[in-house]
Amino acid sequence: MIEVERLTKRFGKTVAVRDLSFVVRPGTVTGFLGPNGAGKSTTLRAILGLVRPDAGGARVLGRRYRDLDRPLERVGAVLETFDAHPGRSGRNHLRVLARAAGLPRSRVDEVLDLVELTGAAGRRAKGYSLGMRQRLGLAAVLLGDPEVLVLDEPANGLDPQGIRWLRDLLRSLAAEGRTVLVSSHVLAEVAQTVDHVVIIHRGTLIRQAAIADVQALAAGATLVRSPDAGRLAELLAGVDIDVVGDGRLSVAAPPERVGELAAANGIVLHELRAERATLEEVFLELTGPDGEGEEGT
Amino acid sequence: MSALVAAELLKLRTTRAWIGYLLAGVALTGIAAAGTVGTAEQTSLGSEELSREILSSAGFATVLAFVIGIVAVTMEWRHGTVTRTFLVTPRRERVLLAKELFMLLLGAALALLAIVLVLAIAVPWLVVDGSSFETSGTVAYALRLIVSTMLWGALGIGVGAVVHSQTPALVGSILWVLVGEALVTALLGLVDLEAVGDYLPGRALSAFDGSGGNGGLSMWPAGAVGVAWVVTLALLGSLRIAREDVT
Repeated sequence: MIEVERLTKRFGKTVAVRDLSFVVRPGTVTGFLGPNGAGKSTTLRAILGLVRPDAGGARVLGRRYRDLDRPLERVGAVLETFDAHPGRSGRNHLRVLARAAGLPRSRVDEVLDLVELTGAAGRRAKGYSLGMRQRLGLAAVLLGDPEVLVLDEPANGLDPQGIRWLRDLLRSLAAEGRTVLVSSHVLAEVAQTVDHVVIIHRGTLIRQAAIADVQALAAGATLVRSPDAGRLAELLAGVDIDVVGDGRLSVAAPPERVGELAAANGIVLHELRAERATLEEVFLELTGPDGEGEEGT
Repeated sequence: MSALVAAELLKLRTTRAWIGYLLAGVALTGIAAAGTVGTAEQTSLGSEELSREILSSAGFATVLAFVIGIVAVTMEWRHGTVTRTFLVTPRRERVLLAKELFMLLLGAALALLAIVLVLAIAVPWLVVDGSSFETSGTVAYALRLIVSTMLWGALGIGVGAVVHSQTPALVGSILWVLVGEALVTALLGLVDLEAVGDYLPGRALSAFDGSGGNGGLSMWPAGAVGVAWVVTLALLGSLRIAREDVT
C-alpha cells in the first residue's frame, strides 16, 4: 500500500508537484503516467524519502519511508538515474547493498539469476548497456524480497523480449499480493501490464482509473485496407469514415461489422484491424493543451 | 551500525581507486623514509631525534586519509550512488556516522601500515650501517601519528559532507591546508592575533602529531582542537545531508 496525500513540492519557483493525492493498493500493478516533466520522478522520490515535500506527504505500508525498519525488505525501488558506481561490478554493487542492509550474500546471486544478469555480473558497470543497467536496477529492487515495488521507467532500454519478461515478472509479483507502482511516459508500454493508472500532468492528478476504463476511451476506429475501398465506403453509409491513404479507410465501427459486410458483398480485404494505438491518443488528449489537466491560464 | 561500516569497507575495496591510494602511499612514504636515513648526519646516528625524523616519513598517511575521507563522501554524489545509499539507509545521519567510524578505523590502519613500512626500510639500513634505531620516545610519537591520521580521515568525511562536489572539495581543502592556513595566520599576525591561527584544523593537528615544527599549541590542547573540528564539520555535514533533496 502506498498513500500519497496532498503532496506538494517546489524547486525554487517551479512547482513540480501540486496537491497530489492517490493510493496504490496491494495485489495490483499501477501505472504512474505522465509526459516527461510531469512530476513523476519527484513524486516517486518523495514517496521514497529522497526529497522533502513542501506540504503533504506519502506513506508506504502505513509509515513514512524513513521510519521503516529495514526498508530494503519492505520496499524495493529503482529510479531513472543509474545509481551504481561505474567502476564497480554489478555483483559487487549488489554485495554492498546486501552488506549495508544486513542481507545474506547468497541473495545477491539469486537476484542476479532472476534478472538474467549473472553472465555480466563480474564486469564493471560502466560497460553495461542500458538494458543491463535496468536489469541491475531491478536486481537491487528484488534484493530484499519487498512487499512494495516502485519502478521509475523500468522498460526504458529493454528489448521487446525484455519488456515481455518484465511484464510477466511484475504481473507475477502483483499476483503474490505485492504492491507495484510503475512509472512511464508511454501509456502503450504499460497498458498490457497494469491494472490501474494514475495519470498526472504538470504536477497535478488528471485521472486515476482502471486501465479498462482508459481503454474504453480509446475504443473505436477500425482500420481496413481493400482494393475495392470505394465500394466498401459506400456500403458503410451512415458511419464516420476517414480515407487515410491509398485504399485505406479508418472506420468508426467494430472490425466484426466491417468484415461481415465485406464478406456478404464479396469485397476482398487486405487488412482489417482494430486501432489499438489510439490509447496513446487518449493519453495525449487527457494531458494535452486542451486536456483536463489544463489550468485556467 | 557495524553492517554499515562493513559496507563502507566493501565500497572502498570494490573499485580500483584503492590500488592508486596504496601505490601512492607506499611510494611516497618509502622515498621519504629512504631519503631521511640516507641523508642522516653521521653525528645524529642512533639518536632519538633521528628516529623521530624517520618516523615522521609515515606522516603522508595523514594526507592520504584526508583525501580518502573526502572522496568516500563526494563519490556518492559524483556517481549518483547516494540515491541507493539513502534508500538502503534512509536515516542519513547513520550513513555519515558509519563513514566517520570507517575512516577512524582506516586512518589507524593506514598509519600503522606506513609506520611498519618506514621501520622495514630504516631499521635494516641503520643496522647495516652499524647503527641502530633508537626506540625510546618513539612509541608515543607513533601513537600520536596514528591518532592524527584517524582524525584527518574523519575530517575528510566532514569536508565531503559539507561540500559534496568532489573536485572543489579536494582542491579547496588541500589548498587550505597547504596555503590557506598560513595565509590566514599571517593576516591574523597583522592585527597581533597570530595565536588564533594555531586553532585552525591543519595547524592544530600538526601541533598534535609533532609534524608542525616548533610553536603552536601543546599536544593535548592541539588534539582537543582537532577533535572539535572533526565534530563540528560532522555536525554541519549532518545538518546539510539531513535536509537536502536527492534528485
